[in-house]
Amino acid sequence: MSDEILNVKNLTVDFGGVRAVNNVSFVLEPGEFVGLIGPNGAGKTTIFNLITNAIKPTAGEINFKGKSILGKSPDRICQLGISRTFQNIRLFPQMTAYENVELGFHSAPQYSLAEAFVRTPRARRIEIDTRKKAMELLEMVNLKEHSHARASSLPYGLQRRLEMARAMATNPELLLLDEPAAGMNDDECNDLIKLIREIHTTKGYAMIMIEHHMNVVMDLCRDSRIYVLNLGSLLAVGTPTEIQSNPDVIRAYLGEPKHD
Amino acid sequence: MGYINTIIILGGINIIAALGVAILTGYTGLFTIGHAGFMALGGYMSAIFVKELGVPFPIALLLGGTFAGLCSFIIGYPAFRSELRGDYFAVATLGFSEATRLLLNNTRSLGESINAAESGIGMAFKFLGPLLVKLGGVFGYMSLPSPTNVFVVVVAVILALFFAHMFVTSQYGKNCIAISQDEVAAQMMGVNLLKTKMIALFVSAFYAGVAGGLMAFYFAYLTPSFFTITKSSDLLAAVVFGGIQSLIGPVITGFVLVLFPELLRTFAEWRLIIYGFLFVIVMIFRPQGLLGYVEMNFYFARVWWNKLRRRGQTSQKG
Amino acid sequence: MELFIQQLVSGISIGAIYSLLAVGYALVYSVYNFTNWAFDGFMAFGAFMGFTAITSFFMPFWLAALFSIILTVILSVGTEKLAYSPLRVRKAPRLFMMISAMGVNLATVNIINLVYGGVFRKFPIDTLQPIFIEGVSIGRMDLMAGGISFGVLALLWVFLYRTKWGLGIRASSIDILTASLMGINNNAVAIIVFAVTGVLSSVAGIFYGIKYAVFPMMGIVTIKAMIASIVGGLGNLPAAIVGSMILGILETMVSGYISSTYRDLFSFLFLIIILLFFPNGLMGKSGDEKL
Repeated sequence: MSDEILNVKNLTVDFGGVRAVNNVSFVLEPGEFVGLIGPNGAGKTTIFNLITNAIKPTAGEINFKGKSILGKSPDRICQLGISRTFQNIRLFPQMTAYENVELGFHSAPQYSLAEAFVRTPRARRIEIDTRKKAMELLEMVNLKEHSHARASSLPYGLQRRLEMARAMATNPELLLLDEPAAGMNDDECNDLIKLIREIHTTKGYAMIMIEHHMNVVMDLCRDSRIYVLNLGSLLAVGTPTEIQSNPDVIRAYLGEPKHD
Repeated sequence: MGYINTIIILGGINIIAALGVAILTGYTGLFTIGHAGFMALGGYMSAIFVKELGVPFPIALLLGGTFAGLCSFIIGYPAFRSELRGDYFAVATLGFSEATRLLLNNTRSLGESINAAESGIGMAFKFLGPLLVKLGGVFGYMSLPSPTNVFVVVVAVILALFFAHMFVTSQYGKNCIAISQDEVAAQMMGVNLLKTKMIALFVSAFYAGVAGGLMAFYFAYLTPSFFTITKSSDLLAAVVFGGIQSLIGPVITGFVLVLFPELLRTFAEWRLIIYGFLFVIVMIFRPQGLLGYVEMNFYFARVWWNKLRRRGQTSQKG
Repeated sequence: MELFIQQLVSGISIGAIYSLLAVGYALVYSVYNFTNWAFDGFMAFGAFMGFTAITSFFMPFWLAALFSIILTVILSVGTEKLAYSPLRVRKAPRLFMMISAMGVNLATVNIINLVYGGVFRKFPIDTLQPIFIEGVSIGRMDLMAGGISFGVLALLWVFLYRTKWGLGIRASSIDILTASLMGINNNAVAIIVFAVTGVLSSVAGIFYGIKYAVFPMMGIVTIKAMIASIVGGLGNLPAAIVGSMILGILETMVSGYISSTYRDLFSFLFLIIILLFFPNGLMGKSGDEKL
C-alpha cells in the first residue's frame, strides 16, 4: 500500500453535461508498465490531463507517492516526477531537437538568476553536464544525428521519439505516453516496441501507455496488465490474453452485433 | 560633430530600451505596447535620486531601473497568475503606460493640492507635496544634471548587450523561448510560467528604466510627453523589424530607427504610418524580421571561421 | 441626489458605449483568439467619417451615421482580408496577429492624424435641450446613446442566437476547425464577424464623439472596454456588457464626485484590483486547451 507510486480513486470529470471520466480507480506500483486502451473518445487522454492537472477533476483523488497532487500546478507535478508525451505532439517547433530535450533538464533552472547574468564556473559546469545528459538521451532514442535540426522539420516518427526524450529529460518516476505509435507502420512499430522496452528496463520508470496499435500494446504489456476504458468508465482490467477474449471489450470496440 | 554625438546617444538609449522589449516580446513572446511607461518610471526615479538625494549617477540609473522592474509586478503578477482568456497582459501594458503618463501629468497639481490641504487624506502625504510639485506635471521635471555623453552611452550599450546575451542564453532565457513557442507544453515539462514571465518582465522593465534615466540625464529635463504610445510603438518596431528571438537585430534596427527619422525630417508625419504598414507586411512576408532566430552565436562564428581556414588551406595546396 | 441621478444616467450612457466596444472585442477574441488592436483605429475612423459626412457633405445625422457605418465596415473587413487572414491560414502565433493588428492601428490613427490634424473637434450635432425629469436634467444625447447602443446590442443578440449565421459564428467561437468541418463557411464567418466589428466601432465612435470630442487618439478608450470585457470574463458576451456597465457607471461617479482627472487612473486601478481578487474574471468560462 505504501509502495504505490500512483493511486487514483473515483476520478470523475464532467464537461458541461458530458461525463468524460466516470469513477475511475486504479493503482500503480513503482516501475510497473501498464497499457490504457479504449475506443476513441473513451477518455484516455483526459485521464492523462487529469493526472497532470491540465484540467481539474469534478471529483476523486489522485495520489502520487502517497501524497495528493490535486490542485498542484502542472509544472509542480512535473517537478514531483510525472512527465508525459502528447497525443498531438507538442514540441517547441523552432527549437532544435537538442534544445527540446535540454529544456526538460532546466525547466526548473539549476542555477540562480544572478549566476545566469554572470556565468560562474559552477553554472558552466552544470551546463556542460546537462549538455552531456541531453546528448545521451538523444542517442538513446536514435536522434543524435538530428540534434541540430529544427523540431518542426523532423518527420513525424522522429518527432514522437523526440517527445519521449524530452519527457525523460525531466527525470520522472512516472512516464505517461500518449499514443506513441500513432501513424507508424509495422516496421516503425517494431522499432518503437524495442525502444520503449529498452527505456523501461534501463530507466525503470513506472509507465502508462495509451495506444491504439493492438500489437504494440499486447507486446509491451505481455508481462503486465491493460486497462480498458469505454465512455469514461473502466470496462475491464487484465492481461493481454484476458482482455482480448473479454466479450465486453470486444463489444465496446466492435459494437453490438446487428439482429435483423 | 555634436550632431553625430546626439545620434549616437539617442540611438544608444533606444537600443537599450529596445533590448528590453526584445527580451519580453522577442524571446518570451509577450506583446507589449507599454514600455514607455517603464522608461518614464525609471527616468523619473533616477532623476529624483540624483537631484533630490544626491546619489551618484550610475547608481541612480540602476536604482531607477530596479524601480521600474518592481513596478512591473503591478501588472505582471495579476496578469500572469490568472488563467483568463484574453490578452490581459498586452492590453494592461497599454493601460499601465497611459496611467503612468497621466499620473506624471498631474504631479504638480496633486502636489499643490497636498501642500494646500489643511485636513483630510492630504495630511498623511504632506511630505510628498513639495516633491510632487517639483516633478512639474506637464511642465516637466527641470534642471537635471546631464552627465550622459557618448562614452557613457557606449559603455551602457555594451553592458546591456552583454547581460542580455547572458540572460537569453541561460537556462532562464531558454525557458522564456520555450514559453514563446508553446507555453502549455513548457508548463507540462516543468516550467513555472508565472515566475519565468515575471523575471522576463522585470529584466525588460529594468532595461527600459535605465534607458529612461540615461534620457533624463541627456536632455537635462523630463516631461511625460516623452513617454507616449508613440515611444512604445517605436520600441516595438525595433523588435518587429530587427527580428524575433534576436538581440543583434533589434540593436541594429534600434539604432537605424533613430537615425532615419533624423535624416528624413520631412517624412516625420509619415513615419508611424509607414511603420504601421511595415508591421503588416513584415508579419505576412518575413515574420522573423531582419535577423530573427539568428543570434550572436559563437557556434556560427566558429563554423564561419573554420570555413575560412579550410579555404585558406586549400588555396595553399593548390 | 440630482447629481447622483445625472451621473448615473451619464454613466449608463458611457457604459453603453463601452459595451459596444467590449462586445466587439470579445466577439473577435472568442472566434479568433487575438486582440484586434485595430479596433481603436476603427472607432476613430467611424467618428471622423460621420464628422466629415456632416461637415463636408452636409448629410443629415442618420445618413451620416449610415455612411460612417458602411465605410467602417469596409475598412474592418478589408483589414481582415489583407492583414489577418493571410496570417491565420498559416496558423501564425497570436503575437504575430497582434503585431499585424497594431500595424493597422498605427496606420489608421496616424493617417487620420495627418489628414485631419490633432485638433479636438466638436461633433456637429445640435445640442438638444436636456430633458427634465423631476428637476433632474438628463442629457438627451445620453439617452439616445444608451438607447441606441442597447438597441444595437439587442439586434446583435438576436442575430447571434436566433439566426443560422449567428449559430455559425458561435460554433466557430468554440472551435473553428470543427465548425468548418461541419460545413460552416469560415470565410463568411470572418466577413460577418468583422462587419459586426465595423458596425459596433463606428456607432461607438459616433456616440463617443458626440459625448466628448472627435480627435485621432480617441480610440484609446477601447482599452478600458477591452480590460472590462476580459475582467468580466471573455467567451461570454453578457459578461462583457456587465463589466462595461459597471466600469462606465463607477468611473463617471469618480469623475463627478472626485475629479475627472483621475477618472482614467481609477478605471485602470479598479480593473487591476478586480483581477487580484478574481483571477479568473468575474463571470468567465475557462477555455480548456485541447491537449
